[in-house]
Amino acid sequence: MAALRQQELLRLAEKASETALKKGADEAETCVFQDLSNYVSIERGQIAKTSRVIDRGLGCRAIVNKSLGFCYTNVLENETAIEETVLKALGFAKASKPDDDWHGLPAEKPFASVEGTYDRRIENLHSENLVETASVMLDAAQKKDKRVFPVEGEVRASYLSAGLANSNAVSVVDSGTMIECSLATIGHEAGEVTPVCFEFNLERTYDINPAAVGEEAARLAVSALKAKKTETKDTCVIFTQFALQQLLSYTFINAINADHVQRDQSVFRGRVGERVASEIVTVYDDGLLPGGIRTWRFDGEGVPQQKTLIIEKGVLRGFIYDNYTARKEGKGSTGNGSRASYLSTPSVDATNLHFQAGSKSAEELIGVVDEGLLVNSVQGAHTSNPASGEFSVVATPSWKIKNGEIAYPVKGAMLVGDIFHLLENVSVLAQNERKIGQLVAPWILVENVKVIGK
Amino acid sequence: MKDVLAKVVSTAVQGFKAEYVEVRAQKLRKTAITVKEARVEAAKQGIENGTALRVLVKGAWGFASISTLNVEALSAAVSDACRMARAASARRRVPVKLAPARAVEDKVVLKPRKDPGKVPVEDKMNLLLTVNNTVLQNDNRVKSVTTNYLDLTGTGYFINSEGAYIEQGKLYVFLGVSAVARENDVFTYSREAMGSTSGYEVFDVETPVKVAETVARRATAQLKAKPPRGGTFPVVLGPNVVGTFVHEAFGHLAEADITLSGSVLSDKLEKKVASNVVTFYDDGTVNGAFGSFKYDDEGVPAQKTLLVKDGALVGLMHSRETAQQLSARPTGNSRAEDFRVEPIVRMRNTFIEARDYSFEELIEGVKFGYYLKSFRGGEANLDGTFQIGIQEAYEIVKGEIGEPVRNASISGNTLETLFKVDAVGKEFELWPGVCGKGQSAFVSQGGAHTRVKGVMVGGSA
Repeated sequence: MAALRQQELLRLAEKASETALKKGADEAETCVFQDLSNYVSIERGQIAKTSRVIDRGLGCRAIVNKSLGFCYTNVLENETAIEETVLKALGFAKASKPDDDWHGLPAEKPFASVEGTYDRRIENLHSENLVETASVMLDAAQKKDKRVFPVEGEVRASYLSAGLANSNAVSVVDSGTMIECSLATIGHEAGEVTPVCFEFNLERTYDINPAAVGEEAARLAVSALKAKKTETKDTCVIFTQFALQQLLSYTFINAINADHVQRDQSVFRGRVGERVASEIVTVYDDGLLPGGIRTWRFDGEGVPQQKTLIIEKGVLRGFIYDNYTARKEGKGSTGNGSRASYLSTPSVDATNLHFQAGSKSAEELIGVVDEGLLVNSVQGAHTSNPASGEFSVVATPSWKIKNGEIAYPVKGAMLVGDIFHLLENVSVLAQNERKIGQLVAPWILVENVKVIGK
Repeated sequence: MKDVLAKVVSTAVQGFKAEYVEVRAQKLRKTAITVKEARVEAAKQGIENGTALRVLVKGAWGFASISTLNVEALSAAVSDACRMARAASARRRVPVKLAPARAVEDKVVLKPRKDPGKVPVEDKMNLLLTVNNTVLQNDNRVKSVTTNYLDLTGTGYFINSEGAYIEQGKLYVFLGVSAVARENDVFTYSREAMGSTSGYEVFDVETPVKVAETVARRATAQLKAKPPRGGTFPVVLGPNVVGTFVHEAFGHLAEADITLSGSVLSDKLEKKVASNVVTFYDDGTVNGAFGSFKYDDEGVPAQKTLLVKDGALVGLMHSRETAQQLSARPTGNSRAEDFRVEPIVRMRNTFIEARDYSFEELIEGVKFGYYLKSFRGGEANLDGTFQIGIQEAYEIVKGEIGEPVRNASISGNTLETLFKVDAVGKEFELWPGVCGKGQSAFVSQGGAHTRVKGVMVGGSA
């Protein structure tokens, strides 16, 4: 099955939207997505398989009398299947209930340019190249230390395209690349097993270092061996980006989402202009971040992505909106109408959530802590209370810091609190910014975190 | 369909000397509806047709997924998969081999009393609107409610180079309700789900309106709840929570791919891993349960698999590959979410076997502890560290249920905790869920009330 070119994707989207209008829709929007991915999997210390996925499809939103229907298909080979999909979307719109808060699809707007989101070298990679990359990563981990066992890993190269056309003259198309190498390891010695330790590179351009990823995954596993229990007390905690991303994903990201704010599920409702975090905390949602994992020209509704100020020096400045939530307040979308491929309708989500970095190196940050924990990852963040932001998670792995140095690994420490007090208690930021999923942030030092050790 | 798929198999066997080939095709239709308060946010329907091709060449796997059922495209894709497998085989030290499995030929036709594909979308929307109305009418402190509905119907086709050919009907119905209540600065969150593989008739039995009432009552009751004390306490786990414990804390470690990765169970077969009152099953044959099916995605029949018997680890969950590595028999646990991914070892319906305690007997000896009634989620690690978040809990004071407690979680080491299980109740329940392991699987989990002598409770008081 040959890949569809950008203009072919766009033509499919335009044609489907035109069909919907012809058949009686007041408004219509069609998006077409294509994902071409090659990947190599590592399982239990060996290269296990090579895979190729070609996934593409089309989703159509039709609106009749302020009532909305959506239908998708991944059968793009014949026009009848596409027309049936459009007709079904119309049928669903007619069967659904009108929504008085619906004020129309987005209109055409000029786009900002985006940088570092496409690299021809990634598009041209073959399975053999990926097998080689995986071998380099695996060898680096295995050479590092005999006590390290690489549990699983992956090298993946993707070429993604999206085209979108609506009845308001929006007609846009964008393509981008991603490459990822990742390795999960455990350390084992004399009957002791460490928690899973993980390292990865995920970039939009061909800028990964598989040997460094393998070595770091192995180093983490060795350093988590001989873990001890810790005592129950309130203490300083340094969160790495992994742990911070896990905690924010199920709590803070909901609180800045306009849908949650409007529906009275956010502690930030009615608090724009108020102090909600430590004054060293400044946060943007930056859909244009160069090389950002979620950087695209436009969002899932064809609205240009942008940079939106959320928290400025601790003061809440705004929320993220899709077209629906924005129009409900008489505003414009912030380009946060997110879509999981052709299968879904848009919903509000962050693009690249950018926590501004500080000036200390990682070593200097550890150096300011007399006694505390360095937490690399937490287990159970998804069980946080999504409205109140309360969490009760286990730090796996984590290390005790004493007198400004890492002393020993800690096992089974529970961290309890809520994300909003945590953000108020951020005291120092490092400069070691990195991208983890939708978060871009440095390590952060937080005072007075409740730790339950025994 | 069989002829098309057979042709693809023979392309790989004859053209590339593949040792093993399997082709999994699907024709699926999904309906999904989301209602927020009184607003139908989206009524969606979709077609997902596609094919997964997996080949074993020179001891290494090649896999291709393609969103078509067209024979020429599939023949090209299977050739690709064979070439990719060769590329991987150069770096593989130990060749992959599969445990033997009988080549089944079967056609599984489902007979739901109410086929969700034939229920008008208007009826489904009205059901969701009724659910939301019930939640919002229950108490004005309930601020918002989201209900998601999903049904999935269609057919899966499986063929392999050993002569198996299976056509299997697929049917899933799922409904999830979540609500947020607020009083001044206190926010609470509550959710429930229903799921079935039998048909739309599931909504006639335990009606969604009852589920809505449970969600609303919990959200408002939690407004007055207090945080738990942090520390180690005796606990009684409800069927919903013990099911999560069996699934997350133990079950994942007993998925043979994870066991082989060095989980804490890797050297424990035939040994004691729990107290004598603990018996665990993973059962793919429970009629209508959310994790049930007739054949897995390697064509192996589902079965009732005994994992722990009276405290001893007696079995693991296997694919054909892991069964071969551990000289065991495949257990029918190899599942793939859809045509986009390859099958991996997954759970089905996982539970602790009921014994003979009444609920009163379980709590009567507890001076101070917690009754953990309903879970929010859980997660386990290879070293046996588990965490389970709780959405509904109560203090147990002097053998009686006391005040409600909110946002608790429990954590510990799986094996240490299993040896502290000292009593299991008699009433048995199964709860539907969606398990994530890189891909999603519909499962259920449960058992009977279970008492643990001591487990670490995370709380802020």
